[in-house]
Amino acid sequence: MSDLKEIPPNTLAMFGISGGLLGIYLSPLFPTAGALGAICAVIWSAEAVRRVAKYGLGTGVPSIGQIAMGMGIIAAMFGLAIVKSMPLAGPILALVTASIIGFIIGWFAQNVIKMKIPVMIRCMTEIAAGGALIIIGFSAAVAGNFDFMGSIIPKVFDNGVMLAVFWVGAMAMLHPFNACLGPDERQKRLLYLAGSTGAITMAIMGIAATMTLGASGAATLILGIILWLIFYKKFWDEVYNDAASVIGTGLIPKTEA
Amino acid sequence: MVLDLTMSMAVLALLGALATIAGCLEDLESDVGSQSNPNSQVQLAPQMGFLHRIFNKAISGEPISNGMSAVTGGVVTTVLLNAKFYPLTAIVIGAFIAAVIYGIFATTSYAGRVASQTRFKQPLYMDIMRYTTPSIIAHNFIVCFCLVSIAYIQYAVLGYPFTIPFLALIWGISVGAIGSSVGDVHYGGEREFQNREFGCGLNTALSGRIVRRAESGLRNSIDNVWFCAKFGGPATGIGLGLTVFFSSWPTTIWGYTWKAMIVGVIILAVMTIMNRLVEINVKNAYGPYKEDKEEKEAVSVAHTH
Repeated sequence: MSDLKEIPPNTLAMFGISGGLLGIYLSPLFPTAGALGAICAVIWSAEAVRRVAKYGLGTGVPSIGQIAMGMGIIAAMFGLAIVKSMPLAGPILALVTASIIGFIIGWFAQNVIKMKIPVMIRCMTEIAAGGALIIIGFSAAVAGNFDFMGSIIPKVFDNGVMLAVFWVGAMAMLHPFNACLGPDERQKRLLYLAGSTGAITMAIMGIAATMTLGASGAATLILGIILWLIFYKKFWDEVYNDAASVIGTGLIPKTEA
Repeated sequence: MVLDLTMSMAVLALLGALATIAGCLEDLESDVGSQSNPNSQVQLAPQMGFLHRIFNKAISGEPISNGMSAVTGGVVTTVLLNAKFYPLTAIVIGAFIAAVIYGIFATTSYAGRVASQTRFKQPLYMDIMRYTTPSIIAHNFIVCFCLVSIAYIQYAVLGYPFTIPFLALIWGISVGAIGSSVGDVHYGGEREFQNREFGCGLNTALSGRIVRRAESGLRNSIDNVWFCAKFGGPATGIGLGLTVFFSSWPTTIWGYTWKAMIVGVIILAVMTIMNRLVEINVKNAYGPYKEDKEEKEAVSVAHTH
């Protein structure tokens, strides 16, 4: 609603990109930071999904989440794998590649398929970039760092954890708007729910990381559960605020129908 | 592991049975929460002034949500197998964690969707939340257990060159796709609009005008799953079970040979002919959609309710 103050998209983009990259770059010291960075990216990209899907994409919301992760995983693999001599440039290169892929796909959707959604190009770029950060962040939390050949392939790809990163990461991004769809949808509630879904993904990554990293995986798991409790509680506070009425039980109220 | 013919037929029968249970329970689980196709009518109802006491579980489509639950179960099972748990214990714990996470997603979608319908005065019923969510978790636990078991058998016994999370994800997507296409019809057309003539088609004017009263009291999602358990769920189970059985049976008997390929093509041809016969019968019985007088009256009656 316009009478409520919303966090502007640029602030959220700054939060997602800086938080995501910071978490990924800290992951070799402290693997849990990778998952925390990915949660920042989840919150940012869930809001980007909200902005583009508000134009009446009902059943298209899950598709947007899946295409975001599709673009993200290609860019993440390309970016991390191509920088052999300077591994530190990997995440940034992945982010740039994802943005370019997202921009091209958004341009096609707007000008070739003619979907006529004004924010399409910008939002596709944002969700592709967010998808790449989510993939790298959660992978780094399981692998311990973002070295593609040395850690991510043996510890994330070979044992199949990548599929959970991809699928649950996509759900974390698409579920907040999908679950809050409706005329009285509010940004604040959606952001708390994005934090909650991101934290659930972090907890799953923590379980996987106990296999690959041991004790630091347990830290990811416990921190993920604590964060989930906080965000889930905040989400429910917003639901109690926003819902027409929350009642234990009762008959259906009378309406004209 | 190389198996003789009797053992491989036994394994195939086990896979078929697990797939049948998974398919049946998957469809019922989606009906408990009104997921997938019937969801649009549940979502639309308050907008048309039809407030209801039905759970609104919008965790995307069935393939994606079941894929999520199965891949989570697969990853947890892999971790536990790696820690030298017994396979059965590992699968049960994996499926349980996945089902609980699935239940958490279900609560957020019901609360979120209802909170986004404030202007239509749709209340958020906490009793619905309390007794429908455990039912969703229980159904999903059985689905996830069956799917991860299939993935484990394929990985450990049949020696497939893929990981357990990968196989579980593929099975999750398959069970969701088959549940969505086979079982939903029984909930959507036959349950939400059971006060209309069967096979009449859905007029746009009837959108959102779902049945909200049960045999006794107000209808809720448990009433719906009771109805769907009579036909929709078992039909979905047979759908997935037969898919698994017929896609693996020729190669189990004849190996990876041309003979098996030809038998597969014959099965496909017989299925296509049977489908066509059913379609012709249905068209003869119900014919093309036509709006009749009674339906117009039904619309005006619905307005005055």
